[in-house]
Amino acid sequence: MKRLVAVTLGILTAFGGFVDIGDLVANAVVGSRFGMSLAWVVVVGIIGICVFAEMSGRIAAVSQRPVFDLVRERMGPRAGLVNLGASFFINVLTLAAEIGGAALALELATGLDYLLWVPPVALVAWLVMWRVKFDTMERVFGLAGLALVVFIVALWRLGPDWGELTTQLTRPPQDEGVPTYLYYAIALLGGAMTPYEVFFFSSGGVEEKWTRRDLVTARANVFVGFPLGGVLSLTIAACAATVFMPVEAEPDSLGQMVLPVAEGLGKAGLGVVILGVFAATFGATLETALSSGYSLSQYFGWQWGKYVAPGRAARFHVTVLASVIVATALILTTIDPIKVTEYSLVFSAAALPLTYLPVLMIANDPDYMGAKVNGRFSNALGSFYMVLLLVVALAAIPLMLATKAGQ
Amino acid sequence: MSEPARVLHARLHLLDRQVVRESDDRLLCKVDDLEVRPGDRPYVTAILSGPPALGPRLGGLPGWLMTETDRLFRDEERPGPYRIEMSMVTEIGSAVRVAGRRQDLALERWLTGNVVGRIPGAAGVEEQDAPDRALRVRERWEDRPDTPRIGGLIGRTVRGPAGEVAGNVADVCLVQDGPLLAEVHQAFRTAGLLIARRRAGRLFGYERGPGLWRPSLLGALVRRMHGEIRYAEWDQIESLDDGEVRLGVAWDRLRSTADL
Amino acid sequence: MIPSVRLAPPALLAALLLSACVSPAWDDDDYALKAGKTAESAVSAVRFARSTVAYRDRMTGPYAEVVLTEAARDLSSVNDQFGGVQPPSDASDRIRDEVLRLTEKAESEVEDLLIQVRRDGVKDPAAAVRELDRLASELSDFAEKHR
Repeated sequence: MKRLVAVTLGILTAFGGFVDIGDLVANAVVGSRFGMSLAWVVVVGIIGICVFAEMSGRIAAVSQRPVFDLVRERMGPRAGLVNLGASFFINVLTLAAEIGGAALALELATGLDYLLWVPPVALVAWLVMWRVKFDTMERVFGLAGLALVVFIVALWRLGPDWGELTTQLTRPPQDEGVPTYLYYAIALLGGAMTPYEVFFFSSGGVEEKWTRRDLVTARANVFVGFPLGGVLSLTIAACAATVFMPVEAEPDSLGQMVLPVAEGLGKAGLGVVILGVFAATFGATLETALSSGYSLSQYFGWQWGKYVAPGRAARFHVTVLASVIVATALILTTIDPIKVTEYSLVFSAAALPLTYLPVLMIANDPDYMGAKVNGRFSNALGSFYMVLLLVVALAAIPLMLATKAGQ
Repeated sequence: MSEPARVLHARLHLLDRQVVRESDDRLLCKVDDLEVRPGDRPYVTAILSGPPALGPRLGGLPGWLMTETDRLFRDEERPGPYRIEMSMVTEIGSAVRVAGRRQDLALERWLTGNVVGRIPGAAGVEEQDAPDRALRVRERWEDRPDTPRIGGLIGRTVRGPAGEVAGNVADVCLVQDGPLLAEVHQAFRTAGLLIARRRAGRLFGYERGPGLWRPSLLGALVRRMHGEIRYAEWDQIESLDDGEVRLGVAWDRLRSTADL
Repeated sequence: MIPSVRLAPPALLAALLLSACVSPAWDDDDYALKAGKTAESAVSAVRFARSTVAYRDRMTGPYAEVVLTEAARDLSSVNDQFGGVQPPSDASDRIRDEVLRLTEKAESEVEDLLIQVRRDGVKDPAAAVRELDRLASELSDFAEKHR
């Protein structure tokens, strides 16, 4: 019984914690411009993140080695350093976007300009990372993120033309060019498979001291929680497709992105969705900030983690603090957080193979995994995704330049 | 002691792995490089870590920056890397575990005292390890920049007896049959080199037996990129001068890795 | 090689942020295209303003204000940006007048509504919605003509 509660709680946390500012922005923008015609990319992304999160969770449970350890160990110091540079840069960019997102949610709730909210959000986030226990932290914000389920209720209340939505699945709109279509496909994939998610997931496994016995929990989180989060992403896109697409409106702010919920459910729904957005972005603020500490520490072999007292992991906590400060400064330059998000999604997509390649290799290495090496199915999927991610990585930046970032 | 001596590939099984302190599972550092005692039968004497060990392996501008930055903050004349005797190693697995009361690296100690310790609510600062007297002494005299390192062997060009290029050093084979260290266990002797015909890049473990060539697509790709991989015993190597490796026998007479 | 790889992302980001600004128009066609794009962005902002007015009773005060402020800000930046592009010929002047007439009208309309919302609510929501609908469809027709 106790085990069941733990598994359920884990699933709900993964579900609520799945959506972050990247998923929110990418799905709302794509829904309004392309309807449901890019839904398949979300599905591909969800399967991909499930495959690699499962591998990295399994490695963490069996060998206690988190993802960036593997990157350094299998890719070597040079390629590892390139990966570290890219991941760290993307991480700080994403962190800035999440802080901005949380501040924007507070602006929607209070009417006070978001820039006033940025410093307090950053300060509170840092305090949480400094003092609050890992599992408490993860649970509270994961569960609060479940408030975003209100998008599903809103979609149902909006009463969309389901037939029309289904037709869109296979028919991209005629007035958008192919490069723009592909560019947004890459952004969606970057949103679903962001590298920080596996850094955080596997390091979290080590923080929570997973062993082989926790493999069930890890797999339940991944195979149930993540797909549920994916359904939420699709619902956000469907809401945008229902409300914005017919009138050619294209949301470019957080306020506009939650408009469908206000239309469908009124003030109460609006309150819940703002809470959900805040929880999701604030939770992701913690995840990205910790991930920057995780990746740097794991590359250099420093003691990391919240499972030891802050005074016992000085370099780790200094890294986390420094990234929060840099990200806050970036947002305070009044750069648009939504734009930052869009760019960080595409850069994420470009960096994906660097992170996932060593995971796939180690998941096959019996020195690490013993009998728990990948099966044929995992390997077939993993190899397929490696090819796909390589193509995506090569295409991402050229497409971004060619389409002027999707304009 | 009838079981065969343990064989490791230095780059695959040792380099870049996490070093963990046995007594309390504290993460200490990475195996940034390995120190070798030269001679007829060279063997690994210590794990090296920190910027002076990682910098040379990185090479190029980043490596130089790392080494020089470290030098700026050290008061020794010729600062050496953080060093852990191989005799302290208790286990080599997904991490390398070491016994004893190894102290943290200088940066961690400095940040604990001067940054983290000053933030309110920093628990755990007072638990910082007391400076280890024995270690201090060692840090001063253990400054031997000229001792060879495994990292310096990897990537070298290999030439045959006639001076023709035969390939590149891809990895170093270590066999645990060297002299006794601190009367506890035997040292890892450098037993030979794995030489890739075409590229100096990493083998990612795909040089091992066919049972480990998974996922098959990746295994095939890596092996194709490297061309044939052969194994040169230590006594088949004539010299290690001029940053190259000169073989005493022709490429064709080297053992193929398939028989390993 | 490694340093250049690590410098690439920030450099790219800077280049992209710059490229997001409006570039000068090369010829009449290019100018017309830009006018069409401008109208398209304006349609989007007007639609959001319309939704806010139409569903004002389903929204909390601060939220409605924020969304309407954004619409007003978007329209004003659309106007500023397009207004700053030099029309290459007399023929382009006509297009310029046409699109700026619409977008400036939209801007002032939305700003009026914003003042009303901040004071004590929109006086005649039904009329405002009608007016915004009309503007949006005119802008949309214009965008359709010049794409």
